[in-house]
Amino acid sequence: MPKIAIDPITRIEGHLRIEAQVDAGQVKDAWASGTMFRGIELILKNRDPRDAWAFAQRI
Amino acid sequence: MGEASGSIYDSLRKKGVSRRDFMKFCSLMAATLALPVGGAAKIAEALEKAPKPTLVWLEFQDCCGNTESFLRANDPTVAQIVLDLLSVDYHETIMAPAGKQAEKSLYDVVKNQKGKYLVVVEGAIPLKDGGVYCTVGGRAAIDIAKEVCGNAMATIAMGACAWDGGIPGAAPNPTGAVGVKDAVKDITLINLPGCPANVVNLTGTIVHLLTFGSLPLTDSMGRPLFAYGHRIHDDCERRAHYDAGRFVQIWGDEGHKKGWCLYQMGCKGPETFKNCPAQRWNQGTSWPVEAGHGCIGCAAPHFWDTMTPFYKRIEQVPGFGVEATADKFGAGLAAATAAGLIVHRIARASKKKSSEEEEK
Ligand code: SF4
Ligand code: SF4
Repeated sequence: MPKIAIDPITRIEGHLRIEAQVDAGQVKDAWASGTMFRGIELILKNRDPRDAWAFAQRI
Repeated sequence: MGEASGSIYDSLRKKGVSRRDFMKFCSLMAATLALPVGGAAKIAEALEKAPKPTLVWLEFQDCCGNTESFLRANDPTVAQIVLDLLSVDYHETIMAPAGKQAEKSLYDVVKNQKGKYLVVVEGAIPLKDGGVYCTVGGRAAIDIAKEVCGNAMATIAMGACAWDGGIPGAAPNPTGAVGVKDAVKDITLINLPGCPANVVNLTGTIVHLLTFGSLPLTDSMGRPLFAYGHRIHDDCERRAHYDAGRFVQIWGDEGHKKGWCLYQMGCKGPETFKNCPAQRWNQGTSWPVEAGHGCIGCAAPHFWDTMTPFYKRIEQVPGFGVEATADKFGAGLAAATAAGLIVHRIARASKKKSSEEEEK
């Protein structure tokens, strides 16, 4: 079964890749992956809790 | 997107922008860039002839905040002019094509307009583990940046993340995130730090390039002086309260209601250089300090680490208003020994008028 990948998915915020398995024009299976990681949770650790809003608000 | 023919003015006229609005825009730009008398006419003359430059916009470890800022130019006419100044050939968040077609638009520009196009970078570039923490079209951000910025006429790093790694680069920097200046060497680069950067400063930079054929003058950190040459604290409308020792002590107290100085609440205006008090935000309606919250220092180097905790007041207020630019300020920072408000108030009495360092 042929597999297609659409990367980047545009008109959204964030980096997204979609892979799909296509059989006779029908999608049989699909996988989505976010292709960007920053580790905001790790960055937030041990900080002043009052600052959390600024760190965690972003998408 | 994609139409790159005709001068900027022609294309604006076709879209119904009046001569009057066009001249208003040129005056706004001349004021933003602090150009001497005749600046607006010079800008108008240049934009009447200049072809639209092609721009590609790269998003890496970003949150789209600078895109939001870009798409929210001050008023409909200005917004139209800003979008019309440029032929935006690639921008993931707003472009119609996706996948391979999108990537083709990008690499067509790199190939066919080598050395002639502009790049805006938004977001940091992760270097750890072979750059796997940010990929687009299966390619690592660092490889894309090297190729696309390396072949451009100039690169504009927009926002804190593209400047010095910003929030992804904050301790412990899990992904080895850096800004463009540390990721790609030997390119023509200007930095517009901030979280986000103000679209007025992006427009000003591009208009300067179109009018004078060069990027605006910068400080030692690669930031244009027209936008980052003044300290927030020196242009702040609450400054009189600071000087008089009238401080907000608790959120919502009498002083807060009366608009007193936010220094004790952690305002980082005394250590931050950006033109927020003059250019403001949200259609020019307000800016953080006017809205009643301290400046969090978003244009300062590594501000997520150096300016936090945001609500803790800065122990030392370096530079009693004598420094005109961030470069001199750096020296003042090292030399500053005064702690507390009393010392500061005495020193203020001997404050000298800062000399204008703006480009003339
Ligand atoms: S400390 Fe902040 S609120 Fe007070 S004068 Fe300076 S910039 Fe304005
Ligand atoms: S007021 Fe301070 S924190 Fe707010 S945008 Fe301006 S420089 Fe950044």
